[in-house]
Amino acid sequence: MIEQVAAHVKTLLEEGKVSAFLGLRDQNGNIFPYVYEKPADLDDGFSVGDLEGPGDSRYPIAKILMTLISSSPDKVVGVLLRGCDERALNELLRWNQLTQTDRIVRVGIACPAELAKAHECRKPFPDEFVAGEKAEPVASDSVDEIVALDLLGRLDYWKREFDRCIKCYGCRDVCPVCFCNVCSLEENALIRTGDLPPENPMFHLTRAVHMAGRCIDCNLCTEVCPAEIPLRTLYKKVADIVKNEFGYVTGEPGEGKSPLNILGPDPGHTSANE
Amino acid sequence: MTVKRVAFMKQLLEFAGVDPERLMLKWVSSAEGPRFAKVVTEFVEKIRSLGPSPLSNPAVLEKAG
Repeated sequence: MIEQVAAHVKTLLEEGKVSAFLGLRDQNGNIFPYVYEKPADLDDGFSVGDLEGPGDSRYPIAKILMTLISSSPDKVVGVLLRGCDERALNELLRWNQLTQTDRIVRVGIACPAELAKAHECRKPFPDEFVAGEKAEPVASDSVDEIVALDLLGRLDYWKREFDRCIKCYGCRDVCPVCFCNVCSLEENALIRTGDLPPENPMFHLTRAVHMAGRCIDCNLCTEVCPAEIPLRTLYKKVADIVKNEFGYVTGEPGEGKSPLNILGPDPGHTSANE
Repeated sequence: MTVKRVAFMKQLLEFAGVDPERLMLKWVSSAEGPRFAKVVTEFVEKIRSLGPSPLSNPAVLEKAG
């Protein structure tokens, strides 16, 4: 797969279709985001994020692209996208964090079935991809397991899980769709600072509410959490509720605001009474 | 949209193990003084009948678990 992608990117750079390509690089066994500018750079260390296994070194590429594009207003930039990365990109476009669709060239890759299963991915491939094969979307049972418990059982479960939180902000920092300059979780007026674990369960429920209409289900948060808190289960439930209440699914291409970004009456109505 | 947001909140609270009945949405104008008093009194009685919240009273959680 890696040769196909490298060859494709090389052609893009050589033909001048992009002036830079945001991908990943493997240097001495460390994989990190990298901006390739010359075709020759791809000969040594080009990576799609496979260190020991497929996709075990992922990054919030869409968020990195956001910063890259804003600092290079004239360049056309190519970007390496898995299914999740593309959902993140579509969502960031909807939230107006990126506006220059004509300056972004998407280079998609489809994820193998084992990677999709490891992260219970609902769409392990972007709309268009140059390497890999479409794997089956994976359903998740973790939400049903919680729903099977009674009310106090659920609270007991979540309190125990959140009790391990060390407030590293890893979940927020790695999230491709978390872009707020001032984060509510750091506001003393909303969440008491200086607690460890942070206010249980308010810290995580606050984050969960902020993930409504935003979370694209990439599972980077759960992957990065040092306390192994099942964050994705919580955010998946949030996504289910948003789908039922607002009829909105994150990650789709197109225009139109995410529902929790809308203040005032429903679009198409003039007041709440209609 | 507020109706939907509160409905969303109720479902999230229920998933997290908090009784959604503890959250209520009511529209009351500042000109409806007596009605406001009535709505709040009724809600206070409802909350009292639900008992101490497991969120602020860990003892409730321990007794059940």
